[in-house]
Amino acid sequence: MAALTDNPAVDLGAVESIVSAYGEPAWLADERRAALRAYADQPFPTEKTEEWRYTQLKRFSFAGLELAKAPKDESVPERISMRIADSDAEGVIVHKGNKVVMHKAAIKEAGVVFTDLRTALRDHEALVREHLYDVVNARQTKFTALNSALWENGTFVYVPRDVEVELPLGAFTTADSGGIGLGRTLIVVDVNARLTFIDEYTSEPFDERLFFDAATEIVLKDGAKLRYVSLQNWSRNVAHINKLRAHLGRDARLESVTVSLGADAARAEVESRLEGPGSESEMLGLYFADEGQHFNQFTLQHHATPRGFSDVLFKGAVRDASQAVYSGMIIVDPHAQKTDAYQTNRNLLLDEAAEVVSIPQLEIAANDVKCSHGSTTGPVPEDQRFYLMSRGLRPEVAEHVLVTGFLYEVMSRVTLPKVAEYVERVVQAKLGVPGVKEKL
Amino acid sequence: MSDKQLEIRGLRARIVGGEEILKGVDLVVPRGEVHALMGPNGSGKSTLAKVIAGDPQYEVTGGDIILEGQSILEMEPDERAREGLYLAFQYPVEVPGVSIANFLRLALNARREEGDEIGVMEFYKKLQRAVKELNWDDSIIERNLHEGFSGGEKKRSEILQLLVLEPRYAILDETDSGLDVDALKVVSQGVNAARGPNFGALVITHYQRLLNHIVPDRVHVMVGGRVVRDGPKELAMELDQKGYEWIREAVGA
Repeated sequence: MAALTDNPAVDLGAVESIVSAYGEPAWLADERRAALRAYADQPFPTEKTEEWRYTQLKRFSFAGLELAKAPKDESVPERISMRIADSDAEGVIVHKGNKVVMHKAAIKEAGVVFTDLRTALRDHEALVREHLYDVVNARQTKFTALNSALWENGTFVYVPRDVEVELPLGAFTTADSGGIGLGRTLIVVDVNARLTFIDEYTSEPFDERLFFDAATEIVLKDGAKLRYVSLQNWSRNVAHINKLRAHLGRDARLESVTVSLGADAARAEVESRLEGPGSESEMLGLYFADEGQHFNQFTLQHHATPRGFSDVLFKGAVRDASQAVYSGMIIVDPHAQKTDAYQTNRNLLLDEAAEVVSIPQLEIAANDVKCSHGSTTGPVPEDQRFYLMSRGLRPEVAEHVLVTGFLYEVMSRVTLPKVAEYVERVVQAKLGVPGVKEKL
Repeated sequence: MSDKQLEIRGLRARIVGGEEILKGVDLVVPRGEVHALMGPNGSGKSTLAKVIAGDPQYEVTGGDIILEGQSILEMEPDERAREGLYLAFQYPVEVPGVSIANFLRLALNARREEGDEIGVMEFYKKLQRAVKELNWDDSIIERNLHEGFSGGEKKRSEILQLLVLEPRYAILDETDSGLDVDALKVVSQGVNAARGPNFGALVITHYQRLLNHIVPDRVHVMVGGRVVRDGPKELAMELDQKGYEWIREAVGA
C-alpha cells in the first residue's frame, strides 16, 4: 500500500498567514508554530504502525490538496436547514469551509458561552487559553498536529459551575469545495454542570475531494455531565478523520455516541481519560459501511484514577465490498484500583465481500479491577432469517429488520430521540427500505 | 377430489448433505380439518414441519408438497407463507430490537399489495383481539420478539401470530412442549379459535394431553420417516395407553 506523503501546503507560511489574518495573540501563534514543528517531526503512520494496522492509509491521503478556504456560497444547505427545523436545539452553529454561515442561540441559562472559536478568542480569551490544546494537541498524532497548527475556526462551549443546559446545543460542519478541511470543537463543562452537545458533519456531494481533519476536546470538571453525539454523514467525496477525546474529573460522567455513516473513508479515535475518582465514561459507537466505504475506529479507555467506570459498545454492519476496522484499548494504571471497564465490539457481515477486523486489547497494571472485552463478527443468523421469512417477509425486508434490530442495542441507549430517529432513517435509506429517503 | 388440501406425497428429505430422515411421507390435510401427527422421538415429525415451511437446512430428495393443487417445493419460505402456510416453531428464535407489533405489521403487509398497507387502527384492533383471545396483557405487543420470553411465552407468541396472520394451513410443531396445564389451555383455546372451514392444521405432538383440548379430526402416526398409520381421533388415545412399540412391531419398523 502506498505510504502517505507530505504536502507542501502545510508549512510555516500557512501558519503565519492564519496568525496575521486573524491578528492572533502571541501565545496562540507560539502554540501553532510548536504544533507545526511537532507535525514535521512525526513520521506519517504506515501499515506497520500498531494503531494504524488494517487502516487503508492511502484513503486518508491529503497529498496535493490545498488548505480549504472560503465556501463557494455561504448559504445553509437544505439538508442542514431541515435537520435544524426538526431539532429541539437551544443553539445551533453552522460551519461551512472557514466561514460561520449560521449562529443561532437562545440559551436561557446564565453564563453559558456557545460560539465559534474565533469569537471566543476575542471575547473569552482567558477561558480558551486555559483549555485549548489540553486534551487534543500536536503531541498525539500526525493528524492532531496538522489540526493544531492550522485550524481556522471551530466551536467553543463553556457551561459554568452548577448550570444545567436543558436543551441540546449543536454544531453542523459542512463544505461545498475540496481541499484540507480542519474542524475543532472545545467543550468545557465546569463543576457540577450539565450539557448535551451534538457535532454533525454532513454535505451535499460536490466534485472535488475533501480531506477533513477534526479535533474534539472535552473537559469535564468534577461532577460535570455531558451527553455528546458525533454524527458523521459526509457525502462520498470526503475522507474524515477525528480525534474525540475527553478528560474526566471526579464523579464526572460522559455519555458519547459516535456514528459513522457517510464519507468514503472515516477514522474515529474516541478516547476517555478518567482522571478523577468515581468518573464514568460510556462510549457508544454505530457504523454502517456500504458501497466500498472504509470505516476505522479506535477506542481508548484510560483509567488513571481509582474507582472509575467505563463501558464501550461499538456495533456495526458492513455490506458490499466495504471494510470496518475496530481496535479498542483499555489501560488501567497501577494505582487505578476498583476500576470497572468493559469493551464490546459486534459486527454484522452482510456480504461475502465485506470485511471486518476487530482487535480488542487490555493493558491492566492494577490488581483489583473488573475488566472484560468481547468481539463478535458474523453474518445474519440463518435461523433468524428463516424465522422472519416463514412469516412472509421478503428476504430484503427480513434483512432490514435484522440489521436495524442488531443496531437497536446501541440506538436504544441513545437518549436523544431526534438523533436516534435520524440515524435510523439514514440506516434504512442505506438498506434501501422502500419509502425511506435520506435526502442527499 | 377437492383441491382444497395440503398434500404431502412420497416426500423424502435430509439435512443438506446428511442422512435421509424423511423416507417417503404421504399425508393429506384437507382445509377445514385439524389432524394430529404423532410418533416417537426421532421419527421425523419436526423435520417434516420444517421441510414443509422451506427451512434451508434441509433438502428434498424426492416426492412433492402440494398446496391446493400447486407444488410449493420450488418456493422460498416467504412465498410459501404468503400462499397461506404457517409453521408454529418448536423453538421460536429471539430477534432483538423488533417489537411484536412492528413485526406483525410487516408480515401482514407482505401479504398485501404495495399501496394497500393495512390501516393502523385496523391492525391494532386485529392484534388486540388476538392478544385478548390468549388472555395476554396488551403491553406484550411492544416487547421485542421473544427477547427474554419464557418457553411458554414463546409458544403463546406463535399462536398469537397465527391468529393475526390467519393462514389457510398451519403446522404446529410440539406447541405443547414445555407448557404447564394453564398455558396449554390458553394455547389450545387460541388454536380452537382459528378453527373453521378455511383453516387446516397439522398438530405435531408426543402426547394425548394436547389432543384433549384440540380434538383432531384424524390422527397420523409417523415411525422411521414414514406415516405408518392413519386413524380416527381414538387412535391417539390408543397410542397414549399402549405406547409406540406395538405400532413399530405392527409395521416391522
